[in-house]
Amino acid sequence: MAPTPEEHPNKAAFLLRVRSALGRTEPIVHMPDHPSLKSNAMRQQEKVRTIVARNEARRSPTLDRLARTAAAASWNVRRAGDAEEAASIVAEIAQQSGVKNLVRSAEDVFKRVNIDTALRSVGVSPAILASGRSRSRGALRDMAFRADMGVTGVSYAIAETASCAVIPRKGVARLASLAPPRLILLIEPEQVLETLDDFFAVTRLNRMQARGRATNYFNFISGPSRTADIEQTLTIGVHGPGEVHMVILG
Amino acid sequence: MKVLRRLGVDVGFPEDQTCCGQIAFNGGFRSHAADVAKHFLDVFENEEQVVVPSGSCASMIKVYYRELFEDDPETLERAQAVGEKTRELSDYIVNVVGTSDVGAASEGLVTYHDACHLLRELRIKEAPRDLIGGVRGIELQEMEDSNACCGFGGLFSVKFPEISTAILDEKLKNIAESGAGAVVANDCGCLMHIRGAMERRGMNVRAMHIAELLAEDGTDG
Amino acid sequence: MAEVKSAEFKKASGRALRDEKLQHALEHVMEHFVGARANIIESDFGDESWESMRTRAAAIKQSTLEHLDYYLDMVDKSVRRNGGHVYFADDAAQANAIVLDIAKRNGVKTVIKSKSMVSEEMGVNHILEREGIEPVETDLGEYIIQLAGETPFHIIAPAMHKTRQEVSSLFQEWLKTAPTQDIKRLCVYARDALREKFAAADMGISGANFVVAETGTVCLVTNEGNGRMTTSAPRIHVVLAGMEKIVPAIEDLALFLRLLPRSATGQRITSYNTFVGGPRAPSDEDGPEEFHLVFVDNGRLNLLRDEVMREALRCIRCGACLNHCPVYQKIGGHAYGWVYSGPIGAVVTPPMTNMKVARDLPYASTLCGTCKDVCPVKIDIPRLLLHLRHKVAEGALGERSTTWMERLFVGQWHGAMRNRRALEGKANLGRLLTRPFARGGKVRKLPFAPMVSGWTASRDFPAPAPKSFARLWREELAQDNVHPNGMEQR
Repeated sequence: MAPTPEEHPNKAAFLLRVRSALGRTEPIVHMPDHPSLKSNAMRQQEKVRTIVARNEARRSPTLDRLARTAAAASWNVRRAGDAEEAASIVAEIAQQSGVKNLVRSAEDVFKRVNIDTALRSVGVSPAILASGRSRSRGALRDMAFRADMGVTGVSYAIAETASCAVIPRKGVARLASLAPPRLILLIEPEQVLETLDDFFAVTRLNRMQARGRATNYFNFISGPSRTADIEQTLTIGVHGPGEVHMVILG
Repeated sequence: MKVLRRLGVDVGFPEDQTCCGQIAFNGGFRSHAADVAKHFLDVFENEEQVVVPSGSCASMIKVYYRELFEDDPETLERAQAVGEKTRELSDYIVNVVGTSDVGAASEGLVTYHDACHLLRELRIKEAPRDLIGGVRGIELQEMEDSNACCGFGGLFSVKFPEISTAILDEKLKNIAESGAGAVVANDCGCLMHIRGAMERRGMNVRAMHIAELLAEDGTDG
Repeated sequence: MAEVKSAEFKKASGRALRDEKLQHALEHVMEHFVGARANIIESDFGDESWESMRTRAAAIKQSTLEHLDYYLDMVDKSVRRNGGHVYFADDAAQANAIVLDIAKRNGVKTVIKSKSMVSEEMGVNHILEREGIEPVETDLGEYIIQLAGETPFHIIAPAMHKTRQEVSSLFQEWLKTAPTQDIKRLCVYARDALREKFAAADMGISGANFVVAETGTVCLVTNEGNGRMTTSAPRIHVVLAGMEKIVPAIEDLALFLRLLPRSATGQRITSYNTFVGGPRAPSDEDGPEEFHLVFVDNGRLNLLRDEVMREALRCIRCGACLNHCPVYQKIGGHAYGWVYSGPIGAVVTPPMTNMKVARDLPYASTLCGTCKDVCPVKIDIPRLLLHLRHKVAEGALGERSTTWMERLFVGQWHGAMRNRRALEGKANLGRLLTRPFARGGKVRKLPFAPMVSGWTASRDFPAPAPKSFARLWREELAQDNVHPNGMEQR
């Protein structure tokens, strides 16, 4: 691991000025009273256990809720009974959109949902968007910019807001779900959480357990890329995908 | 006065009274405002109940005196005591006297303008409407955005007359579109503003204080 | 620092009122924002009421401000633990120097920017250009504004005053595209032009909607995806954040991500939320190798120091107070003369920049209180404006900034209002003075008083009643045989 960057030379003086503006002369030693800061790893684990149990118990209505909020947020929602059906839905969407250049990430979900075979059967050959040994930073970016559809899995999906949490890592490039104008996200039932609160509680625990090796980056994708910057007219698809599909297994 | 006396309220008008001090307070002249506000307290603190016919005056006394006297605990205490027994006229009639029928009668369609301080500082919304509804022969026709500011804002209206008038234009448009023959409000500032522009433009709509409406008995309307 | 033109408020607002095209745009946009917000807030969305959410958010932000030195230190440690760099800049000049240094050290030629109000405060684009580095705004509205050489019109809709025709001619001129009336087409032109910039840029600059102390996570809220692009494509990512942007815990984001989009655009959530707290991990496929977070004071200390004004730093820049303000609805954002406009602009501009130059702003409000009602973090804007007026009027900042006419008026008023006899005397004088101008109980023109002549330009002023209410009251009571203090003589 790279060494921790140094403290900025102006930090101490800056904090001193802030402190004196607040009418204090001494730094605060004890953490201010803030409930969600104080909960330690053990208590957080307990909290998350309750959240997971509730979400398991309410899985079916939560999936329905996700499908509803997603449709309201301009997702094209499809529900698949099993992995095979999910793969053929992906192929069907790709075919209907006339896709030529499809990129996908390399996640576990694709071991269960074999989209490659399904896509090839409709004449689309998917490429995995990963740097590997032969691909430079620029080459990966060019490949992402050239693609006309991206397919990735998610880490979590939040029913309250139809937000898909995508955490980039080995095999999951940031640009896979951003650069192509069309996007398909595959969601497995156990990835779905009811609320934003659930998600951030789980995320906090994950970070605590990762002991400093947690990811520094994730995104919520909650609908198509949109703007209303010209004459307040809603327009879909600016920098990100304008056509977004959500395939829910279950 | 006429209305309150008709309701059997024992009402007086302390002659030493002047102003609550809001003009100076809103202008930023707090020491001047404090002097005048103290005079207000001197005059009114021995009264049983203070009834104020203007929403912004009432909110000055009930809400902003707290701010004005925050560094003067003695006066603050007096101000809070007076604030507690101060009521805006419509609120007083409906919620203290306990009636929305003051025996008034008139005729026609009126619309109601929610004065900003009355609505957003004192949260008085229904009482004036109840009172209007209680006037025989009068029908209340709500205008679009009745809760939008008329653009008066005291000092604002003389400091930035162009903006003030532009905001007022919206209000006048909504009043005209309501089709009412009169607009009623519970704030002398808004009324002066609205009436001033309607008269200048020759609009055939009356701007009335709610007390004026409630004082009508069917013979003078 | 960006130039402060707030002294021109009166003139600029007059210009805006006479600009028909602008008036049309304002009406359209305000209706849209106000309606969308009302719709979603009234709709059912969870177990917690809107009011309770606002109360909670206000308390969290206020407590963070009260302990700001502690939390700044916490963010610093968290981000550095994540492998990022943290800087503390006292003013715009220091912040610009930090950005420039990072750029030069890395031989940066092109910088892509995701919307950042702090960068507008700093005027960083100008500084970069002077050094031969090309800054490119990537939020569509900001991009349009940049091509037009203007400043943002609205916090969240910077180019709302531009028509499609104007955008088309800007694109024709700068991007050599064909003229079109099709907004979708215009978006595609911008997207393609900006894709080239994304590919070429070595550095991305973004703002921060929230900075989480415990994890060092910067949260960006965008709809277009430019925030994601800025934090994915270039090799270096620089975040510019006002020092008040902190929330203590990552779990606090659930609350703030509910409040912000609902208040801003009436959306349940924006299309994208980006959470970034450091450089990419070595195993990541892509993403910036360097992460720099620059905290900027630039006048915020003046707000923090004043216990009354401190709450203004709770602001999460949603723009709801602008959209609902009767004054903003009429004049738009440019008249306020600096980066922040509308009610919150009138509150923060004088203390952050120059009280004397911006002295009109605290008065540029009817104090109608709508801003306070819609604020997601319950900033009592009218109270803060009154506090600033107090400072302006009574020279709490070392100089009086009111006009001599206002002072004369208040002095006279003060004399009259403490004593009924003096009041009656002044009132009689008023009757005498206005009589020549009164027609049928109205005063149509008052030429001698510059303060009042503004009023009579468009409105009649009621002529003083021939007799005061007190005199009428005395006369009526005399008739009824009632004692003046109201106790009926039985």
